[in-house]
Amino acid sequence: METEQTPPVIVLRGLTKRYGVGDAEHTVLDNLDLTIEKGEFIAIMGPSGCGKTTLLNILGLLDRSTDGDYFLNDRSVESLSARRHAHIRSNQVGFVFQNFNLVPRMNVIENVALPLTYKGIRKTKRLQQASKMLSTFHLSEREYYMPWQLSGGQTQRVAIARALVNDPSIVLADEPTGNLDSKASHVIMEELSDIHKRGNTIIMVTHNPDLTTYASRVIRMIDGRVDSDTKVPRPAKTTDASKRPLGSAKTDDKPTKKKAKRATKRKPAKKGSSK
Amino acid sequence: MRLLFINHLQNAAESLRSNRMRTALTMLGVTIGVASITLILSLSGGATKVITDQVEELGGNIAVVRPGGKSPAVQIDNITSPVHQAYATSSLTEQDVKAIQKAPDVQAVAPLMLVSGSVKADNNQPKNASIVATTPDLVNITNMDMRDGQFIDSVTNRDTAVIGAQLSIDLFGTEQSIGQTFQARGQSFTVIGVLKRINHPINYNNIDFDHAAIISMESGKNFNQGIAQIQQINVKATSPDKLPGVLGSLNTTLNETHKNEADFSVLSGDELSRPSSELFYAIAATMTAVAAISLIVGGIGIMNIMLVSVAERTREIGIRKALGASNGHITAQFLIESLAMSIGGGIAGYAVGYLLAYVVSRTLLTFDPLFNWQIAVVALGVSILVGTLFGLYPAHRAARKDPIEALRQYH
Repeated sequence: METEQTPPVIVLRGLTKRYGVGDAEHTVLDNLDLTIEKGEFIAIMGPSGCGKTTLLNILGLLDRSTDGDYFLNDRSVESLSARRHAHIRSNQVGFVFQNFNLVPRMNVIENVALPLTYKGIRKTKRLQQASKMLSTFHLSEREYYMPWQLSGGQTQRVAIARALVNDPSIVLADEPTGNLDSKASHVIMEELSDIHKRGNTIIMVTHNPDLTTYASRVIRMIDGRVDSDTKVPRPAKTTDASKRPLGSAKTDDKPTKKKAKRATKRKPAKKGSSK
Repeated sequence: MRLLFINHLQNAAESLRSNRMRTALTMLGVTIGVASITLILSLSGGATKVITDQVEELGGNIAVVRPGGKSPAVQIDNITSPVHQAYATSSLTEQDVKAIQKAPDVQAVAPLMLVSGSVKADNNQPKNASIVATTPDLVNITNMDMRDGQFIDSVTNRDTAVIGAQLSIDLFGTEQSIGQTFQARGQSFTVIGVLKRINHPINYNNIDFDHAAIISMESGKNFNQGIAQIQQINVKATSPDKLPGVLGSLNTTLNETHKNEADFSVLSGDELSRPSSELFYAIAATMTAVAAISLIVGGIGIMNIMLVSVAERTREIGIRKALGASNGHITAQFLIESLAMSIGGGIAGYAVGYLLAYVVSRTLLTFDPLFNWQIAVVALGVSILVGTLFGLYPAHRAARKDPIEALRQYH
C-alpha cells in the first residue's frame, strides 16, 4: 500500500492509564505499545472495561495518559498545552460517538458546521461546507431537521458527517454502530470504509466481530494490553476506489456488499454490550 | 477571533431565546438596578443643573458662606447625606456679616436666618412655609422680582414682611395680599410686598421663596433672644472677575473673626450646585439602596441561571470540546451569554429609569431629569460589570469540565 513509506501517524510507547489512588487504584491501560500508520483502518475489539474507550480518548487528546509517550505525527503531545490540544482536535481529529452526541438544540446543518466554528470559518462558508458534506451522505433534504426528528441511522450519518467536515486526518469512532440494527450498521460501515478509501486513518472501537471485515487491521485488547494484532489484506479493488469521490464509490464495491448481506442474516448480538 | 465572537453572540442569542421566560426574569434584576441608577443620576443631574443655571444666570459673581467645614464635592455623597442645616447652632454671626461688608470689591451682603415657627392667618396654617430673616440686600443678590409692593428696606417697620406668591395664596387665598396681616410665633406681621412666583424650590439658598415669609433681621433676632442665627451669608462681588479676589479675602477675614477655626466654608460656582430638597434626598437614598441591592440580587440571579445553564449543557460542552473547542472558547461562550443578559437588562433598565424619572419629575418635582452621555456610560458600565462579575464563575466552571465526564453524562 502507499501508506508504507510515510512515517507513522500515531506511536504509543509504554502508555499507561491509572484511575484512583492507593487501594482504589485501577489500571486501565497497562504499558501499551502501538504504532499506527497513515491510512490504516483499525478495529479495536475486546471485552468491556479492557480500556478501548480510554485508549480512544487518549488518542483524541480528550484524556491524558498517566505514563508513557504518545507521539502524534512525530511530536510528543505530553508537552503541549490544553489550547494546543484543542487546536489538534479541531484540525486533525474527527470524533464519531457511540450515542451520536448531536447538540439537541441545533438542527442538522448547524451540528455538522459546529467543528468549523472553532477553526474560525465564517458562518456562510461553514454552512456551505456542512451542506456539501451532508450531500455526500445523502442527507441534503434533512439539513433543517432537528436531531430528534431523524432515525438512528440518519443521526449516526449526521454524526459522521460532523466528524469529517473539518477534514481530519484521523477519525476516531467509538462503537459507531453501537445502537443500530445490523442493516443500519452496515450502511454506516460502508460510509466509514469510503472515508478510509480517501486516505484517512480510522480507528474504530467495536464489539461486533462482523464489522472487523471492513478493517485493514484488527487489534484485540485484554486488560489494558494488546492481545492480538492482525493485519487483514485489503480487497484488490480498494486502490482504484480511493481516487473516486465519496458518494459514487459506495455502490460498486462488491465484496463489501456480500459481507453486508451475510451479516444481516446472522443478526449479531451486540446490543447492550456497550460500555 | 472576531468571527468567533460573532458566532458566540449568535449562539448566546439562540440559547437565550430558547428560554425566553427564564431570560426575561433573570434580566429583570439588572433592569431594576440599572433603572434605579439611571433615575438617581438623571434626577440629581437635573437638580444640579437647575442650580448651576441659576448661578450662571446671576452672572457668576455670587459667593456663599455656610457654617461648617467644606465637604468633598463627590456627587453621590452629596446626594445621600443631606446638608446639615437647621439643627446645629450656626457658627456664623452678625460680626462676620459686618466684617464681610468691609471687605474690598464686595457689592452686597445678605445673611439668611431661618426662624423656626409656623405662619398663620385666620384659620390657615400652611405646613411648608418658612420664615426667613434677612437684610434688604438680598433682593440685589438673588434675582427676586416683586409682584406687588416693595421689599423690606432699612426704613420699613419691624413688623412688616414680604411673602412668596404661593404662601400668599395659602394664607389669604389670593396673590394680592398687601396690607393683610399674619401671625408668626405670636407676633403679627403686615404684608408689604408679594414676590413674583419663582418656581425654583431647589436653589442655592436652600429656601423655597414661593413659600417663604421674609422679615427683617431685627425681627428675626427678636425671636431668638436678640442673637442672630445665620445659616448662610450671600455675598455679591462687584463683577465676576473680582470674585476670586473676594473669595480669598472672605477666607482671610473669616479666619480672623473665627480665630483660625475652620468652622465655615466659602462656596462659589459649582460648589453651590448642591441639591437639597428633603423629598429629593428621600428618593435618592431609597433608590441608591434599591439599586445596590437589586444589582447584587440581579447578579446572583444571572449566576444562578448560568450555573443551571452550564449544568444543563454539560453534554454539549463535552461535545464542543471534543470537536475542537478550547477552554477559552467555552469560557467566552458562557461569559457572552451572561453579558448578553446583563447588558440587555441594563438597556431595558436605562429606558425604564428615564421613564420613571419623567414620571417622578412631572408629578413630584419641578425640574426635568438630565440627559447626558455619562449616565448612559454608567448604566452600560454597571451592566457589563455585573455580567462579567457574576458570569465569570459559571463560565470558568463550564470551561473546566472534563470532556470525558461531560460526554458520559446523559440528558
